Amino acid sequence: MLRNKSIFVLVVLVCLAMSSAVLAESATFWTAPNPSQEVFWHLMAEQFMIDNPGYNIKVMPMAEAPSSEATILTAIAGSTAPAASENIFIGFGAELVASQALVPLDTLDGWQELLASRNMEEAILSWAFPDGHYYILPIYSNPILYGWRTDILQDLGVDEIPRTYEEIIKVGNIAKDKGLFLMVRPALVKPNWWERWFDFFTLYNAINGDQPFIVGSEVVADDAAVLEVFHFYDQLAKQGLILTQDIPDAFPVGDSIWTELGPWTFPGWKEQYPEMVYGETFELTMPPVPEKFLEQATNKTFGDAKGLVLYAQSSQEELDAVWDFIRWVYSKPENDLVWFERTSLPPVRDDLASNTIFSGYLSNSPALVPYAEHMPLAIPPFTNGEFADIQTALGEEGLIPVVRGQKTPVQAWEDAKAAIEKILSR
Amino acid sequence: MSNYNKREEATGWLFVIPYLAFTLIFFVVPFVWGVMLIFYKWNLISPVREFVGFGNLLEALQDRRVWAAAVVPFKIMSMFLPTVLVLSIGIAVLINSFKRMQGLLAVAFFLPYLASGVATALVVKGIVSYTSPVNSAISKVIGYVPDWLGNSFLAVLVISLMIAWRFSGYYALIFLSALQSIPNELYEAAQIDGAGRITSFLRITLPQLYPALYSVMILAVGMMFGIFTEPYMLTGGGPNLATHTWYLEIYYQAFSTMRAGYASSIALYNALAVFAFIGVVRKIMQSWGRALGWED
Repeated sequence: MLRNKSIFVLVVLVCLAMSSAVLAESATFWTAPNPSQEVFWHLMAEQFMIDNPGYNIKVMPMAEAPSSEATILTAIAGSTAPAASENIFIGFGAELVASQALVPLDTLDGWQELLASRNMEEAILSWAFPDGHYYILPIYSNPILYGWRTDILQDLGVDEIPRTYEEIIKVGNIAKDKGLFLMVRPALVKPNWWERWFDFFTLYNAINGDQPFIVGSEVVADDAAVLEVFHFYDQLAKQGLILTQDIPDAFPVGDSIWTELGPWTFPGWKEQYPEMVYGETFELTMPPVPEKFLEQATNKTFGDAKGLVLYAQSSQEELDAVWDFIRWVYSKPENDLVWFERTSLPPVRDDLASNTIFSGYLSNSPALVPYAEHMPLAIPPFTNGEFADIQTALGEEGLIPVVRGQKTPVQAWEDAKAAIEKILSR
Repeated sequence: MSNYNKREEATGWLFVIPYLAFTLIFFVVPFVWGVMLIFYKWNLISPVREFVGFGNLLEALQDRRVWAAAVVPFKIMSMFLPTVLVLSIGIAVLINSFKRMQGLLAVAFFLPYLASGVATALVVKGIVSYTSPVNSAISKVIGYVPDWLGNSFLAVLVISLMIAWRFSGYYALIFLSALQSIPNELYEAAQIDGAGRITSFLRITLPQLYPALYSVMILAVGMMFGIFTEPYMLTGGGPNLATHTWYLEIYYQAFSTMRAGYASSIALYNALAVFAFIGVVRKIMQSWGRALGWED
């Protein structure tokens, strides 16, 4: 009799536990495989569930290997995708949109309110897809800036930070005479498609970022701007100013004096190279332009930006739950401050540089100020599902042979353009 | 059939079922699925699947990246095989010459095989970096720092040596067990006939190692067609596709360009290349074995 009672109690307890789990609005959210981002989302989910006891938001990092894109793709194919995830850039987003895998966020209740509460009505505009919908909510945007070792420049007798290609080549030669490299960048000769964001599009956007690279299935890039970028790298390579072999941490160690930098670099420097102090040992500038383009250059840069998406294969209940969670997160600028403090990645807001909530943190982290200020000038990657092939072709047929001295800039651009057009016509 | 036999048969099936289920789920189903994918233009997630017939297979035949991937295993093999055979046989002979601690030594040489490919690649990256002590020493002798990962020949050499380092301990274990099974009488008889150490090694040890050599050759050749981590971490397949392997291309097409059907067609060519080349190696090894007096 006692045994029967125990079993009954156990069954009742299990049923109660199960029913509470079912009744709670539950959803899974995948974070980027980055500990600081994971911590942020865990914090947010915990706080959200305290404020809203009816919800059960499960936060977990997406697998990193072999890549987050591959993880998401296989999860969707295996019907195991979460309700939402972050770490989506617009090119990969385009492929997901073409596959009808994403929910158009602007069709959800509270979209406009979210944009208003996060103060991102301007910033969101460049994230519109060709069908007019918004499928990605940008979380952060890293305008890529260039770092100069001002302490070494002073030792070299250079007082002004170079702003044009011509000035950079001149300073590069002074550094070379002292046994230093202007830039150390092994990725310049690697075919990995994402490297072109940082070595090509950063400079291209500085000259004419207003001219898109691709529209639909057509290459509409500004030929003159592309040729200027190729010519610049051609000169740097020919004059022996860049090293395409690896030197670990060449810039903070002082083997090179110029490099592209994202804000993710600084937390590591704080630990490993405390002598790297913004304003003392290094400065940050927007990408350079050729002298003759100084007047008409758009002076923009590449924006390494990623956002979050909702996956269409999730149930309506999961989507509702995760959307409520996301709206809650972005309803308060304080949460963006927590993000900024934890990750050093500038949140996509129109008021990042002006809102007093962020000013305390920015004054303690002065190297992040230029990133906050230049966010409006950061252009996200182009929206085309063939992004990997296009950027691989740009590297293999264009930039890499130029740096290796195997093609002239004109020939390289002709070949790269032809290869990209072939990809777009598939 | 008696009840006893039926029970015996059922028990037999019961033991085999886990393996059959494993094979079905992880080999047969993916294989059939992969073959089906070849005929479609599809990214694995789109509701629209476009039937392209043999289009993917034909396109792959005209793709210079695929041809590069087909050639690279042979380039790596030409450096890897001699190195790994010399190293692994040398290690096996060395361990065998010790009277004590053979197990400990074998484990020590086997450890690189267990090391993560990513971690190993990072160590190698450090060794070949421009300012490494190795490069400083080399530049003092030859006057410049070799571009280890930027030069087509050197990049293949670095990857070949790296893989040889990882696998030599593993293959040495196979050779060691073969060495230990060679009857001592053979060496004693040879000694009486006046054979020196080198002659004994060439005339007794090597021919007696044939079965082990056969296994190692098949394993090594098969592995050459499945290299991924080392070039992925070190060169990205460059320079000029010099280290672009089959698996790099399959991964690139499946998960970077998201062309699963096209990736499957390349995977099929990869499988055909492995089968064909292993067939050739088997024939060569078997004819060598017959010459040594071993039967098929």
